[in-house]
Amino acid sequence: MKRSGEAFWWALFSAGGVMAALFVPAFVIVTGFLLPSGDAAVAAERAAGFAGLVGWWPVRVALLGVIALSLFHCAHRIRHTLMDLGLRHLSGLLKLPCYGGALAGTVWAAMLLRAL
Amino acid sequence: MRTEQTMTLEIFRYHPETDSEPYFQAYEVPYDEDWVVLDAINWIKDHVDGSLTHRWSCRMGVCGSCGMMVNGDPKLTCAAFLKDYYPRPIKVEPLVNFPVERDLVVSLDGFMEKLQAVKPYIIRDDVNDTTGGEYRQSPAELARYKQYSMCINCMLCYSACPVAGHEEEFLGPAALALGHRYNRDSRDRGRAERLDVMLAGEAIWGCTFVGECTVVCPKHVDPAGAIQQAKAVAAQEYFKRFVMPRGAKGAET
Repeated sequence: MKRSGEAFWWALFSAGGVMAALFVPAFVIVTGFLLPSGDAAVAAERAAGFAGLVGWWPVRVALLGVIALSLFHCAHRIRHTLMDLGLRHLSGLLKLPCYGGALAGTVWAAMLLRAL
Repeated sequence: MRTEQTMTLEIFRYHPETDSEPYFQAYEVPYDEDWVVLDAINWIKDHVDGSLTHRWSCRMGVCGSCGMMVNGDPKLTCAAFLKDYYPRPIKVEPLVNFPVERDLVVSLDGFMEKLQAVKPYIIRDDVNDTTGGEYRQSPAELARYKQYSMCINCMLCYSACPVAGHEEEFLGPAALALGHRYNRDSRDRGRAERLDVMLAGEAIWGCTFVGECTVVCPKHVDPAGAIQQAKAVAAQEYFKRFVMPRGAKGAET
C-alpha cells in the first residue's frame, strides 16, 4: 500500500502547534501589553530597543519560522475541521486554499520582516 | 445488598427477523448497590425476558465482551455500577458506530478486519527457529510497548471516536495502538510492512486527536497517545527518505 503524503502536512502542523503554544502567547504579552505599558516616553524607548532587536537578522528568521509554522498549523486544523463538517470528499482540493493561504501569509510576513 | 427498591432499565431491542425497526423496552429490576448494569441485564434475561440478547463473559473487566452504551457513554457494563445512576433510569444501547446484529449485540466483522490489517503479531524471518532459545528482552524494552499491549478489544474506543463513525478507511484507536505496540517491540522486524498499512490513505491520518478513545479506555492503554507517537514516526520516516533515499524504510529506531 502506498504511504500517504499527509505525513508532510502533519509534520508542519505538529511543529506549528509547538511554536504557537510556546511562543505566540509570549509574543502577544510582550508586544501587546508589556512594551506599550506605562509612561509614553519609556514605552517609546522600549519600542526602539525592540526594533533594534528585530533589526538583527537571526531574530527575523526565527520570527518568520514561528509565524510560518503557526500559519501551517492553523491551515491544517481548518482543513480537517472542514473535512469533519462534511467536506471529506474534497480533502485534496481543500489543500489549495488552506495551505496556499498559509504560504501566502508566510510570503507576506517575510516581506514585512524584510522591510523592517 | 439487596433492598426493596427497584430501578428501571430502558433497553434497546431489535430482532431483525421480526422487528421492522428498533425500539426501547423498559424493565423494572431489583436495586442492589453491589450490582453492575451487567448483573441487572442478566437478571432480566434469567427472570423476565429470555429473548434479550447480549454478550458477556468474565464479569471482571478482562474479556472485553460486555461493552455497551450506558446513558450514552461507551462502558463495560461489568464495571458500571447501578448505584452511580440510582434512582434515575438507565438507558442501555448497543455500542455506536457498529452495525447491530440483535438487541445489544453488534457485528465485530469490520473491527476484526481492521485488527488483522495491522499484522498484530511478531514478524521476523527466523520465527520458527527455537534452537537458539527464547528471545530475550530487557525490562526497558518491555516497558516500551507494555502499556499498548493491555488492550482487551472491548471496542469502547471505536464508539467514543467521532472519526471511526464516518471514515471507513480509518483503522481506529485499538488497531492503531496495537500496530504501534508491535512496532515498538524489540523482537519484531515487521515495522516497515506494518507502517505501509498504517500510513496509507486515511488509515491513521483520519485521526484528529479528539482523545475520547483514551478517556473511555478501561485498561488505560492511551490509544490517542499511541496514534500521535505513530504519526511522529511517520513524519520522521517521511523526511528520512530525502536524507537517506535508500535503506531508510527498514531502519530501526
